[in-house]
Amino acid sequence: MYNKTIGRKTFEFLNGIFILLVSAVIVVPLLMIIVTSLSPDEVIAGKGFVLIPTAITFSNYAAILNSGYMPSFYNSIIVTVSATAFSMAMTLVMGYALAHKALPGRTAVIRFVIATMMLDAGIIPFYMVVRSMGMIDSYASLIIPSAISTYNLILMKNYIGSIPDSLLESARIDGCTELAILWKIVIPVSIPIIAAVTLFYTVAHWNTYYQVVMFINDSRKYTLQVLLRQLIFQSESAVSSVSAMNNFKMAVMIMTMLPVLILYPFIQKYFISGIMLGSIKG
Amino acid sequence: MKINSNEAQALQAFNIQKKSSLGSRLTRNKAILLLLVPGIIWYLLFKYLPMLFAGVAFTDYGLKADVHFIGLENFQQLFSSPGFWGALRNTLLLSGYNLIFYFPLPIILALCMNELGHVYMKRIAQFIVYIPHFFSWVVVGSVFVLVLSPSDGVVNHIIQSLGGDPIYFMAAPEWFRKILVGSYVWRDVGYGTIIYIATIATIDVELYDAATVDGAGHWGKLWSITLPCLKGTIATVLLLTVARILKIFEQVLVMTNDNVLSVSEVLDTYAYTEGLLNSNIGYATAISLFTALVSTLLVIGCNVLSKRFLDESIL
Repeated sequence: MYNKTIGRKTFEFLNGIFILLVSAVIVVPLLMIIVTSLSPDEVIAGKGFVLIPTAITFSNYAAILNSGYMPSFYNSIIVTVSATAFSMAMTLVMGYALAHKALPGRTAVIRFVIATMMLDAGIIPFYMVVRSMGMIDSYASLIIPSAISTYNLILMKNYIGSIPDSLLESARIDGCTELAILWKIVIPVSIPIIAAVTLFYTVAHWNTYYQVVMFINDSRKYTLQVLLRQLIFQSESAVSSVSAMNNFKMAVMIMTMLPVLILYPFIQKYFISGIMLGSIKG
Repeated sequence: MKINSNEAQALQAFNIQKKSSLGSRLTRNKAILLLLVPGIIWYLLFKYLPMLFAGVAFTDYGLKADVHFIGLENFQQLFSSPGFWGALRNTLLLSGYNLIFYFPLPIILALCMNELGHVYMKRIAQFIVYIPHFFSWVVVGSVFVLVLSPSDGVVNHIIQSLGGDPIYFMAAPEWFRKILVGSYVWRDVGYGTIIYIATIATIDVELYDAATVDGAGHWGKLWSITLPCLKGTIATVLLLTVARILKIFEQVLVMTNDNVLSVSEVLDTYAYTEGLLNSNIGYATAISLFTALVSTLLVIGCNVLSKRFLDESIL
């Protein structure tokens, strides 16, 4: 990069400012929430938020530990872990089967799967099906009906399809069953895609909201997302009818973001490779 | 994963040779077909069975103890109901604004980020911009509620320090649509940007080198190399955006309140209210069915356009 004209230099400067502004719009509200959640009541009194910390306290988080938000936090963890495990089992097994190029009817099944990305009956018929299976008010309604993401399934299928057939063929000759091949050969060489898809499912299941309000009526079974919405948007909630201060609210928000914040560096790592794998048609 | 191409070719030839009758292929693949069964059952139950349930749209299910076939009555009621037209109007307006404000932004942002001189700045910006994409709508909505709060939000603090009166944004119908579009952009602009950046990264560097030799400047390369290479991605993203046009749901369900219903009610929240809260399931299914049909037509239309103008079928 030499011989830059003045026009080019001006452009690069303005461009840098523009990107800086965009990044600030995204990151400043998040910083404000983190700092405020760590601030004592007297610091935020009167204005409700802080951007530069003057005093640090963990009392808001301690208050959550003894509040009605903890059971819903555990509910969220239970639902997320079991739903992700079930999702992964379904996606791995189906992805492995669809990766077999010699499978009769493979193209038809792939079309049958991909068509559902475009055709969708909508929320009410979906609700009717889940209700008719007797899943209302049970966590099965949050685990089974949203188990497979077609996008993740295609990612999985494409990756497993790129494993050399010779590797699988030799195991077959040795008399391994298909499940044993999946377990002993396919899974160990597919760790990158398994990690990526597990992360995507974990975030999706943790963030589930409308399925919970649609399928779960018992407030003891609510997940953290539902309680956070009640806390921020409604004055009354399943947990308390007293309006809380902003620092407590923001601490609950941080709890609700926690898995995403912890997993984000890993998501970052796998996300772009996931997109690139997904762009391979097949 | 690196595949030995010679080996792969040999195996392929071997497989073609083996491709005998369908019967023998079926027995050989029995074990694998068996693995396909749970997945297919799942798709039938949760993706295709709901389509059959759409037949409820022609009944009075939900209102009386026994169900009657009532033909197109639900649809007649639908098309003569102001609630439906309001929801349709809001849905189209919101999607239109999302299309105008959200769709071009990631392309511009990706091109700008690509022009950043400093590698570190580029990396940091890429790290930051798509964090919000992984937050739930409840979290994104909460961020907006707290930032825009009339008593202790940052925005109203600034307005007041400039001498203005505080605005109760979340309860103001004239602001609410802007907030929905704004929060959509805030959450997903980075996600779109990363998709375009990933595509730009796959463009062959030699193309740029050749253009430099031919005397092309920054803008010339942008116009005749980068943008044409992004064409396919832009078309795909546009199709996916159009496919979701009528399906704005969770965002509105989370952020709406009684004060702004007149501008926030969309087709899916209308179906949700009618079906789940008012138990008028037949009528709600008719709304869902209408939404699904129009969505499908839009997707097919987009694909036809993409085939004609870009020589590329997206489906």
